[in-house]
Amino acid sequence: MAAVVLLVMIILPVWASRAQPYYLQVALNVLIFAVLALSWDLLARTGQLSLAHAAFYGLGGYTTTLLTTRAGVPIAAGILAGGIVAVVAAIALGMLTLRLRGIYFAIATLAFSETLRVITKQLRFTGGSAGLVAPPLLGGSLPAQYAVILGILLLAVLTSWQVSRSRWRYAFTAIRTNEEVAAVMGVNVVRFKVLAFAISAFFAGVTGAYYAHVFLFINPFEAYSLAVSVGALVAPIFGGLYTTIGPLLGATALRVGEEALRSTVRSGSQILYGLILAVVILYMPRGLLGVWASMVSRRARRAPGASTKGAS
Amino acid sequence: MVIFGVLRSGLYSLTSVGLALSVGVIGIVNFAHGEFLMLGAYLGYWLFVSYGVDPLLAIPIGAAVLFALGGVVYRVSIQRVLHAPELNQMLLTFGISIFLQNLAVILWTGDPRTAAVSYKARAIALGPFTVGFPQLVVFGLAMALTLGLYAVLGGSRIGKAMRAVAQSRLGASLLGIEVDRIYLLAFGLSTALAGTAGLMITLQLSTSPFIGLLYTLKAFSIIVIAGLGNINGVIYASLVLGLSEAFVEFYVPQGGGWAEGVFFVLILLVLMVRPRGLFR
Repeated sequence: MAAVVLLVMIILPVWASRAQPYYLQVALNVLIFAVLALSWDLLARTGQLSLAHAAFYGLGGYTTTLLTTRAGVPIAAGILAGGIVAVVAAIALGMLTLRLRGIYFAIATLAFSETLRVITKQLRFTGGSAGLVAPPLLGGSLPAQYAVILGILLLAVLTSWQVSRSRWRYAFTAIRTNEEVAAVMGVNVVRFKVLAFAISAFFAGVTGAYYAHVFLFINPFEAYSLAVSVGALVAPIFGGLYTTIGPLLGATALRVGEEALRSTVRSGSQILYGLILAVVILYMPRGLLGVWASMVSRRARRAPGASTKGAS
Repeated sequence: MVIFGVLRSGLYSLTSVGLALSVGVIGIVNFAHGEFLMLGAYLGYWLFVSYGVDPLLAIPIGAAVLFALGGVVYRVSIQRVLHAPELNQMLLTFGISIFLQNLAVILWTGDPRTAAVSYKARAIALGPFTVGFPQLVVFGLAMALTLGLYAVLGGSRIGKAMRAVAQSRLGASLLGIEVDRIYLLAFGLSTALAGTAGLMITLQLSTSPFIGLLYTLKAFSIIVIAGLGNINGVIYASLVLGLSEAFVEFYVPQGGGWAEGVFFVLILLVLMVRPRGLFR
């Protein structure tokens, strides 16, 4: 099923771009968003609901921009460096917040992201509030850039899928359910929590770096924007947490919805995220996949019910 | 510098005490707290610009409106997640926060609005220092309201009921207290307080849809410093934050920007060193 979704995501935009390059641009945005969603979901599997995704995104973007413009580093290396810096930051933040649970953790991560934004705005080294300009990826060719993000997405999908298939899945779930019990059962809680944070941040950082080279410009307001963290959070929750398809579905639906909304409302299209988040929590806590699953099980229940009545 | 810090902490304690109430009595950390503050600020702006009503005079109106709004929000959404996992509650209020923030952007655009009250620039001499007149008034009013709240909580029947519910939901209901109604009242009160603080902010600074988040975070840091659910400690915790920010602003070069990060450092420090709060 996931393969079908992916195939659609690959083929559809290529076909659509022949008709309208705008669609390819939208698809590119969707893919960026999907990587963020997948990486957030990965971290959420350990029970850590982070609001710091924007921080890693921004760190990635700023790292690569600074390296490529000030140190003459090639773009590919810059993007990789963006990911690495994000990982380092994640490890630091992860260690700092080990003892924090639930809302404390969320607030600490949010505050981390906001503080990073303030700092970036203050320092002239990072361009202050005016931001920085970044060199274009692959000469600005949209299809080529699309291929790159597709590659990144595939990597993210593979990671997410692999984690849910391997023994890590049990560790993550145990930690998420009850850390103390998991520790007693022999799960190395610290290692997995920080590892999840690092992997998640890597993708966020790489994506942020990618973003810088595609949109050619970063500033503290956009790179560290709460919108990134919110989006990364709402998409998996909407689609279905702790799965691989869920974040993909959620990211696509939300991003497309936001683009559609943007044509009517000039700014504030983010309102969709708030609304969806509230609605999901109130009425469909397991997300779209949960709705799908309950529909399927209802249909399954009806079928055997008819035959067993006759049999007994 | 000390005076600055103290004045600032007055406003902070008003903004935070509502959140402390929500956390202490209902057990919900209202992520959207700052957004109610923002709505109060916009209400104050609108009343001033359309009818020339001074924001301070508009406080009773603002408080009533925000109380009603809080009640509605509570009934429609929060009441349903009272028994859900804490994370669901957090996500819900977070969603409400994003919703309200962007609603404001849609309705009123993202440009900041300022209410230029006539006495805005007036300053008063306090001994050897000059202090902004609006700041002083806001401080006085904020402190009065905060202390008034303490009086209500300590003295009145409803206040005592709230404290009972804060201590033990089960015990309070066994005593015949209608816990649901108390929750509704507490939440409404919490949003009313936030809105009132917002009105005061209109007086001093400009307002925009995005001010909510920062105040939510600062309020959160204050209640963490005070100890979650500790309503009485909010005044002291606000002093801590206010003074620390003032300190950074004055003694760190280019301090104005850095001061905005102080609350984060404080949160981390307190949670790592004394997670139960400094003023338990």
